[in-house]
Amino acid sequence: MAVQAFSAQPVKPTREEHDMTAAISVPDGATVEELRAAWWEADHGADARPFWTEVGRRFVANKAGVAALVFLLLLTSSAVFAPWIVRADPLVGVATDRLLPPFSPGHLLGTDEQGREMLARLVYGGRLSLATGFVPTAFATFIGTCIGVWAGYKRGISGTILMRTMDMLYAFPAILLAIAIGASLGAGALNSMIAVTIVFIPPIARIAESATRQVAIQEYLEASRLSGAGTLRILRTQVLPNVANQILVYASGLVGVAMLIAAGLSFLGLGSQPPTPEWGYMLNSLRDTIYSAPLLTVLPGLMIFLTSVAFNTASDALREAMDMRLA
Amino acid sequence: MNARRPVLLDLRDLSKSFTARVGLRSAKVSAVDGVSLALRQGGTLGVVGESGCGKSTLARLVVGLIAPDAGEVVFDGTRMPAGQKRPRRVVRDMQMVFQDPHSALNPRATIGEAVGFPLRVQGTPRREVSERVDEVLTQVGLHGNYRSYYPHQLSGGQRQRVNIARALALRPKLVVLDESVSALDKSIQAQILDLLRTLQDTYDLTYLFISHDLNVVEYMSDEVAVMYLGHVVETCSAHDLYRRPLHPYTKVLLASIPKIDPRQRSTERNLASGEIPSPIDPPSGCRFRTRCPFATDHCSAVRPEPVEVEPGHWVACHLYPSPGTVVEPPRRLDATY
Repeated sequence: MAVQAFSAQPVKPTREEHDMTAAISVPDGATVEELRAAWWEADHGADARPFWTEVGRRFVANKAGVAALVFLLLLTSSAVFAPWIVRADPLVGVATDRLLPPFSPGHLLGTDEQGREMLARLVYGGRLSLATGFVPTAFATFIGTCIGVWAGYKRGISGTILMRTMDMLYAFPAILLAIAIGASLGAGALNSMIAVTIVFIPPIARIAESATRQVAIQEYLEASRLSGAGTLRILRTQVLPNVANQILVYASGLVGVAMLIAAGLSFLGLGSQPPTPEWGYMLNSLRDTIYSAPLLTVLPGLMIFLTSVAFNTASDALREAMDMRLA
Repeated sequence: MNARRPVLLDLRDLSKSFTARVGLRSAKVSAVDGVSLALRQGGTLGVVGESGCGKSTLARLVVGLIAPDAGEVVFDGTRMPAGQKRPRRVVRDMQMVFQDPHSALNPRATIGEAVGFPLRVQGTPRREVSERVDEVLTQVGLHGNYRSYYPHQLSGGQRQRVNIARALALRPKLVVLDESVSALDKSIQAQILDLLRTLQDTYDLTYLFISHDLNVVEYMSDEVAVMYLGHVVETCSAHDLYRRPLHPYTKVLLASIPKIDPRQRSTERNLASGEIPSPIDPPSGCRFRTRCPFATDHCSAVRPEPVEVEPGHWVACHLYPSPGTVVEPPRRLDATY
């Protein structure tokens, strides 16, 4: 490896290029100063992999996690590109073709109680079902992180009020609280998402708060305060990067739960309204035919189950990938 | 040696107590009580004492991480506002190197980001930040290429070098070193201490050097202040302190240094009996009186004020009365040790 002159903007070799074993050549009988100079010349340092690169590398090594992620990506793209995947209209059925079993000619997964193509309804239903998983989790993560990080960093009266409010919400069972909020807001897909968002804010705020408290006692926070940095800057540059992984891992596990709660609300008639397909609502409407066409009834439930399991598996893999010693 | 240079840092009667919960009641913990110290530009003031004597609180009071209950910090002729943000100039002029090299660096920030952070906060343009980071890393003995490393890839000594680089990035006048070498191995300690001395010359730095390690303080300091339970009990030049300690506590402290020569080992085992008392509800008057072999009733009634016993040698002890009082200091003190 060529000796590289030290400059203000050194060209660093990457980890792969850097030859860690390269011997430092010095003449025999070199003085300590000469040895030191030679070491200095040869010491290039190596590019460290940024945290997220390393996380990605470790995640890819986890087969179950990758499989779950691929499944979720396929599901998401099928929901997004639904019109290109299925020709049939999910809202209009043929009255004479009701409750056809799966693998019927022309209807791969059969038809529902109104003669609507089951495959189309499942694919289109994924749109709303996945949205009810992602959207409330994303909003709750954002709001909960803001609340938790602020409360954990500032503490004091504002922090106490925020966290005790969270505790009050947390005292209710999640599904019960969602039903109560959903019922008071009125039925509808949007309202059920709002309900799930509110249900998820307290647990995320708690995780964010406890993670922030652990960070808040570290000396690097004092050092950043000593630099004259304002609160928002400290939260953004010092606190958030150190609490983000804990929050992300927890939130990724909530997506599946959000879908379950939303499906439950739909099942109770508080979620999406007919005839819009949604897995929870489909499960409800097919409930009456469970004895005459059990295979059909199982299908939306199976979708909910598989998606939820996939989210949990991916979340576990993410947690394992992020679980590295950094301090 | 720095007698002619102006006073950079002047602490006047600084006090700080914290509220702690004892069972259901809350109690006042007096961490620093009526501390007055002065530090000349270019000099090093060592602060020694047992753990829990208020050294770290003093450091944080000086740099403004916590606000004093009473007293004031005068830096470079300017009185620091208590409990408010300090002016930018002062932020740049006063920095601190922390004790724990592991927790003092953000694990998610590269070395370059960590050292450049104070510069960025103070609004230095990106290009200059990059140049300054390389320059200061080189000065602390780290290759500029280390800027892309993360803290967990460095050893304890390297991290402490990074901490020093971060403190120096803004070219401060005063650097508070709070137990900055205590967490390091002896061999690394020596390297870092030498580095600190070199940097003191390069930057004309003034150090407030806080440590519980008496040998290290002797090596680094021009003057030394001895703290006991939030009080400063003795202040003098480093040379005098180690050869002619006057306060009974200082004598105990120095006697606790292990001697290499067995003939010099102290045969007196119990110079001061007992543990350091709790800073919750500390002893009245002289705080050392509960462990002091020479304590009298007078010691519990009146807090001793610092007295200049010899030129430049201040002691806060009733054994050394202020000039004008007739009481002789007991001779047996010197005879005992």
